[in-house]
Amino acid sequence: MAAIVTGLIFAIVWAAVTGSLSPLNLVLGFLLGLFALWIIRRDFAGTRTVVRPWKLLSLLILFVKELALSAWRVAVLVASPKMDLKPGIFAFPLKVDRDIEITLLANMITLTPGTLSVDVSDDRRFLYVHALDCSDPTAVRRDIADGFERKILEALR
Amino acid sequence: MAVLLALVVAVMLVGGGIFTLLAAVGVVRLPDVYTRMHAASKAGTVGSGLMLIAAGLHAFDFAILARAFAGFVFFILTAPVAAHLVAKAAHHAGYRLSRHATCDEMRDHTKK
Amino acid sequence: MTADPLAQTIVLAACAIALFLMCVAFFLTVWRVVNGPTLPDRIVALDMLVAIAIGFLAVIAIKTGFNLYIDIAISLGLVGFLATVALARFVLTQGMPQDDRDPLAAAPGRHGRPPETRRGRPQRRRGRAR
Repeated sequence: MAAIVTGLIFAIVWAAVTGSLSPLNLVLGFLLGLFALWIIRRDFAGTRTVVRPWKLLSLLILFVKELALSAWRVAVLVASPKMDLKPGIFAFPLKVDRDIEITLLANMITLTPGTLSVDVSDDRRFLYVHALDCSDPTAVRRDIADGFERKILEALR
Repeated sequence: MAVLLALVVAVMLVGGGIFTLLAAVGVVRLPDVYTRMHAASKAGTVGSGLMLIAAGLHAFDFAILARAFAGFVFFILTAPVAAHLVAKAAHHAGYRLSRHATCDEMRDHTKK
Repeated sequence: MTADPLAQTIVLAACAIALFLMCVAFFLTVWRVVNGPTLPDRIVALDMLVAIAIGFLAVIAIKTGFNLYIDIAISLGLVGFLATVALARFVLTQGMPQDDRDPLAAAPGRHGRPPETRRGRPQRRRGRAR
């Protein structure tokens, strides 16, 4: 069932990329999607992910907003004549523990204002985040935990 | 209608150009690799993505717009991965933060 | 593509402005690639160059009305991403090259390079030219 839904999403993406919405092209995209899933079937065997579409959509909207904001903030920082920088790397304790959640969180942190994920500790308990303004790491940690991490947990659990 | 579309395309083009220019200025002005990466991965991605979508809008064709949008999504997905890998490699190889840095908990953790 | 002259003028003017901005951005980034004190700096700058090239392609697609350029831009993004990943893997496996040792020691100086190597490198270069 999950494979069919994923295949349908792949079919839509295929139609968008090839630029034709004809039924035959959609069927071809669907079959190609199923074939791609069949190739990587071992990598996601046994991981059941619950997806809540509306929460995922709200996560996506938050992400787009933060992306625009972050580009704007970097641009303003760079354009200001006297750059006031206090960069640093702080450790962010992870509540999420599965691969997909960590990946999603790390990617979103990278594209949000002033933060960039550098590494995950070997025991997966910490995400090391580089911040442009690291004068108050606790506040940044709290922002990430209350913003993206909570939304990801809501959307995928 | 055509003028409106042209105006939207023009604003996106110039906006994307300004973002890209500021990203390049950031790559030149910021003090160390990690901060430069902020400029390149955020402002650079948004800048080139805006220009790509402007090109898609200007073609006024659903297929091309969809392709441009797919490209934009693809850049958004890959830019953080590339930045993350370069940052991780630089830190593992021992490149330090600039002298403005206030803290480096990653180095403290790996030292222990 | 419409034939409205006003719309065309607006788009072409925007193209000219965008091309100018991208040219400036291009040269700034090239300066970083040439001058960048360490290898990761150059990798970041090269990644930025790919983004700028994508912007150029988008502007040229609008200017010429030849929409295949958008596909070329997407493939360039893919190749650029793979190149960045490969260079990052290279840094990860090879470690820091000799030229880059301890950039922090030179932080009070302006170029982020230890004075010995800064003095050493141009000499080597001059020697090769002769």
